[in-house]
Amino acid sequence: MVEFLQFTLSGISFGMVYAAIALSLVLIWRGTRLLNFAQGGMAMFTTYVAYEVIRQTGSYWAGFVVALAAGLVLGAVAQLTVIRPTLGKPELNAVIITIGLLILLEGLAGIIYGGQFRSFPTAFSIIGLKAGSTPLGVSRFDVFVALAVLVTTLLLAVGFRYTTAGLRMRAAAFNANVARLSGIRVARVITVGWALAGLIGALAGVLVTPSTFLYPNSMDSIFVLGFTAAVIGGLDSPAGAVIGGLLLGVALSYAGGYLGSQGSNLTALVALGILVVVLMFRPDGIFSGARVRRV
Amino acid sequence: MSSPAANQGDAEQEGREQEGREQEGREQEGAGRKSAAASLVVEDLVAGYGGVLALDKVTITAEAGTITAVLGANGAGKTTLLRAVSGMVRPRGGRVLLDGTNRAGRGPEDLVRAGIAHVPEGQGVIAELTVEENLRIGMMSWPGLAPRRADRAAALAEQYERFAVLADRRRKLAGTLSGGERQMLVIARALVSRPRVLLLDEPSLGLAPRIMTQVMDMVVRLSRENGITIVLVEQNARAALAIADRGVVLNLGRVVASAEAQTLASDVALRHHYLGF
Repeated sequence: MVEFLQFTLSGISFGMVYAAIALSLVLIWRGTRLLNFAQGGMAMFTTYVAYEVIRQTGSYWAGFVVALAAGLVLGAVAQLTVIRPTLGKPELNAVIITIGLLILLEGLAGIIYGGQFRSFPTAFSIIGLKAGSTPLGVSRFDVFVALAVLVTTLLLAVGFRYTTAGLRMRAAAFNANVARLSGIRVARVITVGWALAGLIGALAGVLVTPSTFLYPNSMDSIFVLGFTAAVIGGLDSPAGAVIGGLLLGVALSYAGGYLGSQGSNLTALVALGILVVVLMFRPDGIFSGARVRRV
Repeated sequence: MSSPAANQGDAEQEGREQEGREQEGREQEGAGRKSAAASLVVEDLVAGYGGVLALDKVTITAEAGTITAVLGANGAGKTTLLRAVSGMVRPRGGRVLLDGTNRAGRGPEDLVRAGIAHVPEGQGVIAELTVEENLRIGMMSWPGLAPRRADRAAALAEQYERFAVLADRRRKLAGTLSGGERQMLVIARALVSRPRVLLLDEPSLGLAPRIMTQVMDMVVRLSRENGITIVLVEQNARAALAIADRGVVLNLGRVVASAEAQTLASDVALRHHYLGF
């Protein structure tokens, strides 16, 4: 029972990181039906920015804030420079450009910092918390990870739901033609979507890197898990992305915990298995309202 | 184009005479609202998709505050005309004059700010948003960064008064509305943007006859009471000519007839050839 609680809590903590990546993918997918393969690479790059700022200033929080700002800017700049020219062209063009962007960012990071693994600090202690004498399997930092993503998600949800800017983004995502005819500058809205995605990706990078170490490919596996979470949630739904991330995190935590010493090596397989099962039975995600249409 | 109306039924003739009287009344009433209304002149407009030319030097004049019916068979270029005027399709040539200012080549985001609202065919509500959110989208073209709360509330109240059925459903998702309610909602959304020219594409498409009559009545009211210049694309030529001041018939991207609505309606040869009634 104690084990179960530990696995669940640590699963939630990791799941929130997958949720953040999933959320950033959903933000871009909703606006343009484009899967941003560079999302993990962008998060890796902004984490290097945080690493550099922390090294120069000695302040974790300076690095944290600068990384988020860098994610915002990187998302907007990437959209304006290389993605916007592909609007209205075949969808594959944009997909290939995001892959190119990923290779570019990983190459740049390698040129500047080399390929070695670097440790990345945490904001809070990573010593496991205890309830009385029972270890909970999570640390203060894990709690911070979960809360940071949760707060960001709630802020986004409230912003989308209750502000004019949020309504503008939803309208542009659901029906770009109606949005344009109503005066919404959809191209600008898409740039804002990329900027927000960059910010959330940067948050995920800073939160997960203490456990993965920092190197040019450090976000690759996290990206795959985030993508899986997004598909579980249906790619269209921000709430689905978060729930998908949590489900995946907990499932992988159980797999790693209960399947013995080999369990942690099986996480990629378990994630792939979940992805296949979801795509077979609920291709629109398990939270999609619409019934699957069989042709 | 001037065939005698000798073979028309009495009832139809009577209806037309009544229509004529109402038009006179409108001209007098419209004089006091001149500032709000705008004329729309389309000059030698050329537009197409790829290698296909959908509009070949189309010229149309819609006087301020009037209803102009654009008629013709499928593929005549009616929808493309509206899309080119609203900026959804970039014209390849010609001018779109709103109160004398050429607006051709601008995008729809700019044209709706200039006062041209386009209601595309197919009851294009955003199904995933509530009725009220759909209406609020009509405010996105308002000038200024943050419109006053009171102005926003007044704009919504005005449409809820006009369309009581929307007021009852304001918190419902637009996807749950019936076809007629959706058509009301898209027109209301366009009106929230405070248009001077309203482009309506097949507003009666797929609606029950009773609902269609309601929509047509409302188009007339918008022109008479609000002084909005209306360009109405319709498959149902008879219904459109019954409420229009002028009619324009397109065929294969060219204007083949342009006259007073009554004149077109009484031109038997034209009706048989192009309008199917």
